[in-house]
Amino acid sequence: MARKTLGIDLNRVEGDLEFEVDLEDGRIVGARCIGTLFRGFEQLLVDRAPRDSLVITPRVCGICGTAHLYTAVLALERLAQLPVPPQATLIRNLCLMAENVQSDLRQTFLFFVPDFLNPRYGDHPMAAAVARAFQPMKGSAVLGALGVTRRILQVVAIFGGQWPHSSYMLPGGVTRGANARDIVDCRELVESTVAWLEDDVLGDRLEAFLALDTLAALERWLAEPVRAERAMTLFCNFSRSVGLDRIGGGARTFLSGGSYHDPDSWGPPCGEQKTLLAAGIFEADGGTLAPFDPDRITEHVRHSWFRSYAGGRHPFEGETVPDYQPGSDRYTWAKAPRYGEQVVETGPLAELLAAGDALCRDILATLGPNTWLRQFARLRRAARTLALMRGQVDALARRIGEPHYRHPPEGAFEQGEGFGIVQAARGTLGHWMQVEDGRISRYQIVTPTAWNASPKDSAGRHGHWEQSVIGLQLADEADPVELGHIVRSHDPCLVCTVHFAGSGRRFRYGV
Amino acid sequence: MASRTHVVCFGNELHADDGFGPAVHAALSRTKLPEGVRLMRADAASPAAIDCFDACDAVVVVDVLGGFGEPGSVHCLPAEAVAAECGAGHGAGVGRLLETVRAALPRPPRVRVIGVEAARLDAFRPGLSAPVAAALPQVTRAVMEALT
Repeated sequence: MARKTLGIDLNRVEGDLEFEVDLEDGRIVGARCIGTLFRGFEQLLVDRAPRDSLVITPRVCGICGTAHLYTAVLALERLAQLPVPPQATLIRNLCLMAENVQSDLRQTFLFFVPDFLNPRYGDHPMAAAVARAFQPMKGSAVLGALGVTRRILQVVAIFGGQWPHSSYMLPGGVTRGANARDIVDCRELVESTVAWLEDDVLGDRLEAFLALDTLAALERWLAEPVRAERAMTLFCNFSRSVGLDRIGGGARTFLSGGSYHDPDSWGPPCGEQKTLLAAGIFEADGGTLAPFDPDRITEHVRHSWFRSYAGGRHPFEGETVPDYQPGSDRYTWAKAPRYGEQVVETGPLAELLAAGDALCRDILATLGPNTWLRQFARLRRAARTLALMRGQVDALARRIGEPHYRHPPEGAFEQGEGFGIVQAARGTLGHWMQVEDGRISRYQIVTPTAWNASPKDSAGRHGHWEQSVIGLQLADEADPVELGHIVRSHDPCLVCTVHFAGSGRRFRYGV
Repeated sequence: MASRTHVVCFGNELHADDGFGPAVHAALSRTKLPEGVRLMRADAASPAAIDCFDACDAVVVVDVLGGFGEPGSVHCLPAEAVAAECGAGHGAGVGRLLETVRAALPRPPRVRVIGVEAARLDAFRPGLSAPVAAALPQVTRAVMEALT
C-alpha cells in the first residue's frame, strides 16, 4: 500500500506551525505536529530577579499576554504567601475576561469561518448566506467582530495602560484601583459587546442562550425562523451539514485548571485555588469529573528537540535545554505535557465541561468529541464570560476606595517556589518558578498549545491534535480543508516570528 | 483641525533585516517632525496594531519588503501593492493588516508604504545586512518628504 507524506500549510493561522501527515489511500495514518520555533523564555528568566517575570513573560504571546501576566503574578504570590485585596483580583479577572472574549471572537470570525468559503463548498445551499456573514474583511459577522474586539480590549487599557504586553499586575495587587469613571466605562464596553452578540450572533438574549441545556433544546432554538441568518445559526448549521460534528475528536479527557480566581478567597495559604468556573478533569467516556491536581502534571521530551531525560518530569523538576537533532525521530520544539500520563485536551470546551455546562456536556455525551463542538464551545464561552464580566464589574463597583495593593514585606522573594495556573484563551496555562538567593533558579511554562499540540511522549502516545486527525479520510489531498477545520478549531498558537511586507510570494522561516 | 499623520514602523530587530522599521523609528526619534505627526513603533502587524491607523488622516508605514526589487532597493508603494497573504503569525502581516484597517475603520486613513527590500531575514540573528543598513538615510529622507 502506497504511503505518502503531506506538509500542510497552516500559515493563515500561525507562521511557525507545520502539520505533517502520512496518508494511505487518502486516510491519515500518522501525524506530526511541528513547532518550528524555539521559545527560550525559560532560559531568559534564569538568574534574573523574580519580579522580572512580570515584564518578560507577557511577551511570550501577543494574544494572551494578560494570561501570562496573571499566571506569573500568582506564582510570585504563592511563593511569598502574599495577601491580595479583592479589588485587585476583580480587576485581574476583568482584564483576563476581556482578553479571552477578544480571542474567542477573533478566532471564530477571523480564523475559523473563512474555511466555510472554500471552493469545495461553492455549491452548498448555504453558500450565499455564509458569504454574507463570514467573507473575510467583508462579511457582517467578521466586521462586527473586528469592531467589538477592539472595544472590549479597552478594559485592559483602562487598568493596564496598553494591550498586549502590559505589566500592571504586581505581587500583592495591581498598579491602580478602580474609580467611578472606570466602572461606567467598563459597563459600556461590556454592554456594547453583549448587544452585538445578542443582535448579530445569537438573535436572542444572552441569558436565553446560556439557559439552553441539551442538544435537542439547542436544535429547536436554532430552528426558530427569527434567527435563521444569525451568525450562530449559520455557524452551527453549516458546520454540521459538512460533517464537522463527526470528525476531529482526539483525546477524550479534558483538562481545566479553573477560570478566574475568587476575589474573596485568593491569598495565603494559596493552596487549592477557588475559581469562578471550577477546575477539573472531565472524561468523555462516562461523563465523570475528577479534581484537578497540579502535582500530576509532567512534561516529556522524547520526541522534542530538547536534551533527553527519561519519562516525564514535573515542571518543578523540569528543564528546557535545546538540543536540535535534525534527521532523528524528534520533530518539534514543543514538549509533551501529560496529566498523570494521560493525553488531554484543554481549551474552552474543557473549561465549560469542568465547570458543569449542561449543554456542552449533553452534546459531548450525544455526539462525542468533535470539531464543531470544540468551536461552538468557544462561542459559548464568550457568551458566558460576558455574563461573568457583568458580575465582576458590579462587584468592583462595590469595592471602590478599598485597597488595590499591599506592599510585599522586605525579602519576600529571596527563596522558595511557587506556581500559577489560569485558563488562558486557549486553555490551561501554568508557570512554575523557583528562587534561590533572590534570583530565579528555574522557570517552566506550560502553555495551552503545548498541551494540545504536543508530540508523541516517552510511551509513544500521540498528542491531542495528532490523535484528532489520525484516521481522517481526506476528500482531496490537494486541498485538505477538513484537516484545516480540525486544527483551527483548537485556535493554534505557537510564538510569532519574522514578519515582513511581501509581494505575495510565500516564505517560511524557522529554526 | 490640523491634518494628523501617523508614522508606523513595523519590525523586530532580533530578526536581521526585520529590524529595519525599528531602525527608522530610532532615526526619526532624533529628528524634529512636523506638527501633527505622531511617530509609532509596532513590533508585529497583528490586529492589535489597528489602533495605530485610527484617529488620523494619513499613515506612512515603514517596513522591510520582500519581492519588490534588488536587496537594499527603496520603494514607495500604495497600500494596495502589499499582498494580503504575506507575513506570518495569527493571520497577521502588514498586507493583511492594511486590508483589515480598510474594513474595520469607518474612516480609514490614506496609507503609503515606504520600505527597503530585504537581503537577509534570519530569525534571532540581530543586525541589518549591509545593503539594507545603507538604505537607512534614503528611507528616512523619503519619510520626511512624505510628511511635508
